[in-house]
Amino acid sequence: MTGVLSILALLMVCVATMLIAFYGLRLSRTTSDFYVASRTVKPWWNASAIGGEYLSAASFLGVAGLIVLSGQSGLWFPIGYTAGYLMLLLFVAAPLRRSQAYTIPDFAQIRFEDSVLLRKITTYLVVIICWLYIVPQMHGASLTLSIATGLPGWVGPVIVAAVVCLTVVSGGMRSVTFVQAFQYWFKLAALVIPTLFVLFQVMPEYSVPERAAAVAGQLQSIGGMSLYETISIILALLFGTLGLPHVLVRFYTNPSGQAARTTTAIVLCLLSVFYLLPTTLGVLGILYTQDLGANNADATILLLPQRIFDGFLADLLTAIVVGGAFAAFLSTTSGLAVSLAGALSQEFFQGTVRGFRISTVLATALPVLIALLTNSLALAGAIGNVFAFTASTICPLLLLGIWWRSLTARGAIAGMSVGAACCGLALLGSNMLPESSDSLWVLMLRQPAAWSVPLAFVVMILVSKSTRRRVPANADRVMELLHVPERSYKPAGDTGADRLR
Amino acid sequence: MSPEQDRFAEQRPQRVRVQAPQNASLNIAAARPEQSAETFYVRQLIRSQLRLAVAVAAGLLIMLVGISAILAFWPVVAQVTLFHIPLPWWILGVGIYPMIIVAGLLFNRAAARNERRYRSISR
Repeated sequence: MTGVLSILALLMVCVATMLIAFYGLRLSRTTSDFYVASRTVKPWWNASAIGGEYLSAASFLGVAGLIVLSGQSGLWFPIGYTAGYLMLLLFVAAPLRRSQAYTIPDFAQIRFEDSVLLRKITTYLVVIICWLYIVPQMHGASLTLSIATGLPGWVGPVIVAAVVCLTVVSGGMRSVTFVQAFQYWFKLAALVIPTLFVLFQVMPEYSVPERAAAVAGQLQSIGGMSLYETISIILALLFGTLGLPHVLVRFYTNPSGQAARTTTAIVLCLLSVFYLLPTTLGVLGILYTQDLGANNADATILLLPQRIFDGFLADLLTAIVVGGAFAAFLSTTSGLAVSLAGALSQEFFQGTVRGFRISTVLATALPVLIALLTNSLALAGAIGNVFAFTASTICPLLLLGIWWRSLTARGAIAGMSVGAACCGLALLGSNMLPESSDSLWVLMLRQPAAWSVPLAFVVMILVSKSTRRRVPANADRVMELLHVPERSYKPAGDTGADRLR
Repeated sequence: MSPEQDRFAEQRPQRVRVQAPQNASLNIAAARPEQSAETFYVRQLIRSQLRLAVAVAAGLLIMLVGISAILAFWPVVAQVTLFHIPLPWWILGVGIYPMIIVAGLLFNRAAARNERRYRSISR
């Protein structure tokens, strides 16, 4: 019974996603020119779309799983995901919107026109990051479907890949901010409903003083991360968000730099509201599903309804969560697939439409294979590693490229290469080490961000200083483009409604 | 085929294959010397925006690292409970988010003010 309802929910989400993508595309073609429309998306819509794209498997399932696994330390992950957006607002949102770059390689080329090599390296890094980010989504899809319905593990990833391929190849996903925006609110609802039901059911239980007093003990009983690990994760998440390829594309749909800032501020609110739910569910998970063990902790949210209710209500709540989880996999994967296919087709197929379609298939099929061949780590932890890698590579390029006119192409290449090599090798190496050892050296390999991010920055700055003659001649003009407010910009305080429309 | 149709065939535009631009660069020319006053104001703007962003980011980092250090070195904090839930859970699970939002809103206002000031000077 659980299986049937869950499969129905899954099918509804997939069909709704595809229908909105196909019909939304047709609608936007007939009503007005798509490109003009996309520049004038209202901040609320845009913010919902960014939220929809950003809240991935790691947020939807992983956060609660990590709270069950590592207790209080798990709470740092949603904080990092949200605070990373604040960093994006502080350093990147408005300048990147004004740069007229659609992708990170575009930005590299606008800043350093002559350096083909820098563009190539940036493209390859974007491709690696996208792939690393899609794999956990596929793991999540595999876990969700096999837990909820008992189907074999490969079905979930194949469904996600197929739906994403169809929508992206048809051109739907890219055009329709609508789908992503819809998916934010859907994901929110898919967590709000079970959370409220579960809370109302278990609340009376805690009117007994002894039961209530035991809660604190249960929450504190789980061993967490060391201080070094915590700080390293904070740094990785804060700086990693800056360089996520699929998030940056969304800023292009803002009409101006100031609107980009307004959008980002709204995203902060949307993320904060959302993360209260997996946090609450994680706490309930500690109290009711503690026995899941490390391998299935990510299934906490999926299994919680069945531990508290039985019969139809349990099945229905599980089905709602399954639907929300698949919305999370679909929206994040499609956003990443668009970025990835764009980069691949530009690099290997001269940017033709046919090349874009082949690239989309590559972009989604390869992660399915990788996901099936590898075991799923804790989802939030796996995504944390991707953030560490982004923070050591793309983040220094963007931050220094936007704020420091003396950055040179050679400096950027050197910094990104060192960051990628150090962070990548450390993460690979830590996989081969035994789990048990907890010396500082092992921790530094497992969570490299605390040293690899500063290292990448230092290398980038030092090499740029030693190649001072190679600062591009147009550096001042490019900086002007990035930072000077648009001509059409009206000071804040006027009736903003028209401007933002 | 009638000559009439032929004429239209000639006028029909050539079929163009849609392709992403091979070159994203905007071909921005180097700064000319006579614009150095303008360049100066732009640098001032960049510096003030950077100072603002770094100040907020440093505040955020100090707050987060500080909280994690306090929780690591004084686990006693966890003995305090509110509605039977230890204090660290309230701080990390709920309390930090409003601060992040407030920091974002304040930054937005200050950044817009910097840009207004630049506009009033440079024109």
